[in-house]
Amino acid sequence: MPAPWGPPGETEPRQRLHPLSPALHGAKSLVVVIAGLSWSTLSRVGFGWFAVLVAVFVLGATVLSVVSWWNTGYHVVGRELRVYEGLLWRRTRAIPLERLQAVEVVRPLLAQLTGLAELRLEVVGGGKTEAPLAYLGVAEAAALRQRLLAVAGRAPASAPATVGAPPTPAPAGRRLHAVRNQDLLVSQLLTPQAFLLPFGVAFVVAQFLSEGSWSFIAVASTLTAMAGVLLQPVRRVLDDWSFRLDADGDTLRVHNGLLETRVQTVPLHRVQTVGVTWPLLWRMKGWLRLRLEVAGYSAGEPDDRNRPDRLLPVGDAGTGGRVVAEVLPGVRLDALPGTPPPRRARWLRPLSRAVVGVGLDERVFVARSGLLTRSVTLVPYARIQSVRVTQGPAQRRLRLATVHADTAGGAGAAAVDRDLADAWELAAELTARAQAARAADRSR
Amino acid sequence: MSADGPAGRPASPPGPLEPWPDTVRWQPISRDLIWVELIRLGIGLAVALVVLGTAWALSGHWLLGAAVAVALLLSAWRVATIVRAVRAWGYAERADDLLVRHGLLVRRLSIVPYSRMQFVDVSAGPLERAFDLATVQLHTAAAASDARVPGLRPAEASRLRDRLTALGEDRAEGL
Repeated sequence: MPAPWGPPGETEPRQRLHPLSPALHGAKSLVVVIAGLSWSTLSRVGFGWFAVLVAVFVLGATVLSVVSWWNTGYHVVGRELRVYEGLLWRRTRAIPLERLQAVEVVRPLLAQLTGLAELRLEVVGGGKTEAPLAYLGVAEAAALRQRLLAVAGRAPASAPATVGAPPTPAPAGRRLHAVRNQDLLVSQLLTPQAFLLPFGVAFVVAQFLSEGSWSFIAVASTLTAMAGVLLQPVRRVLDDWSFRLDADGDTLRVHNGLLETRVQTVPLHRVQTVGVTWPLLWRMKGWLRLRLEVAGYSAGEPDDRNRPDRLLPVGDAGTGGRVVAEVLPGVRLDALPGTPPPRRARWLRPLSRAVVGVGLDERVFVARSGLLTRSVTLVPYARIQSVRVTQGPAQRRLRLATVHADTAGGAGAAAVDRDLADAWELAAELTARAQAARAADRSR
Repeated sequence: MSADGPAGRPASPPGPLEPWPDTVRWQPISRDLIWVELIRLGIGLAVALVVLGTAWALSGHWLLGAAVAVALLLSAWRVATIVRAVRAWGYAERADDLLVRHGLLVRRLSIVPYSRMQFVDVSAGPLERAFDLATVQLHTAAAASDARVPGLRPAEASRLRDRLTALGEDRAEGL
């Protein structure tokens, strides 16, 4: 194959997704169809008709996905990834790769069985995950990821990319941490949901015993309803199973998942904030959880599972400190500065005044919050988009104000209920430090 | 119409706790925005009164009469606050960032560096156009950033837009 991006005149041929993709999409729609028809339809029309309905819908979905597969293509042109799709409404998306924030390779169970993978790109400005390429062969996905990250890297010239060459296995990188599955299980047992599960089951059993009606439909729909709420810990366990964290040059690679494996690659300079959480029930173990926010995963992604913001699902203080130091060099998790708001803020937050606090570290803005579930948000100065100061009526009476540091991903960090003079000073300091950090970034 | 003061005169006397008085020259926005806001309020009130009044006349329930009274009271209070709220809006262009402050009940100040600018919106609705006003909004990559300056004269709006764009391009960078 010719050089992937040469002079603008010559373009590389458009490539199709893997030919098995429509079959996978059809199988995926099976679940959606059954969920959409719901248990009550099953009880109304009987099993035979239900099966026919499902078959018709699934067949329709499969035909549609074959058509869409035929019309979908992608190729890299210059510093853009172009994705073509649609039969009636043709759509071409040009994704500027300088804006690429993170790349994720997702392999649902069926895709694992068939050796396929889905490539998801996060681009800033996109409300949701842009251009999920579903599905590609695994080797192809890995090669494309390498190539996209290389193009997206800071130095455009230094990207050696060969598409036709035998796909190089993803470099192993440096293992930062691997979470023990046993710890993961214990951590998810130490959640409110896990504690409530016996009560929920007891309630349902008691209800059925008292009513004496054991119809299949009633049991099934109750269980489905309960599963949505109470099985979140189970989902977390499945999602975070065999969690591994690798550093590879200046990118971070996160592997996780049991039934559906995900490999997320984030360039370190794309990390917008790092959140540290100490859930109440984990305190006896001294565990914490780390999350990272990348621009692009915005509110447009309502499903929490699809927000690949995991950095460490569970770990002790030492591990957390090491990982944070790796992601934000020079930040020591055990020695973060922080001062609580003035005493008169207790009128506004009688219980949590002592636990909210902010500090200015050398490279990051530190904001603490939470009485029961303690958390700390770390925002690198270089990632601050804007600074806001707000003052509500009660705060005005007490001469307090809240300072927000807005970031491109996530909610940013807020210094709540600071003394007014402090707040102005903090805002000025944040602005100045953000500017200095940006200047340093630029000159690098 | 031309009640706007000379450029640079503060919109309201600066309180003792205004930030950085030596480096910031607050620009007021046009007082004509008061009229725009009042007319908007009037239209809303008229619609509400027609709906409530008709319902009251037809059903004769005393609750609807009370609702009319409440709507009138709220509007009267709003009229008083509109005037002060428009006076409280202000913006300032510093060397590296744009400052916007507004709000009476909840006071807000936004500091947005030019280099963080993603794009600038200039908009003018029919009412604003009737009073020869426009709104400039600066967007950054953060959804929470809030830098909207309403009530600008079109000339000032395009000057601000051009200046912001020029400064943004000058210092542009990614994220």
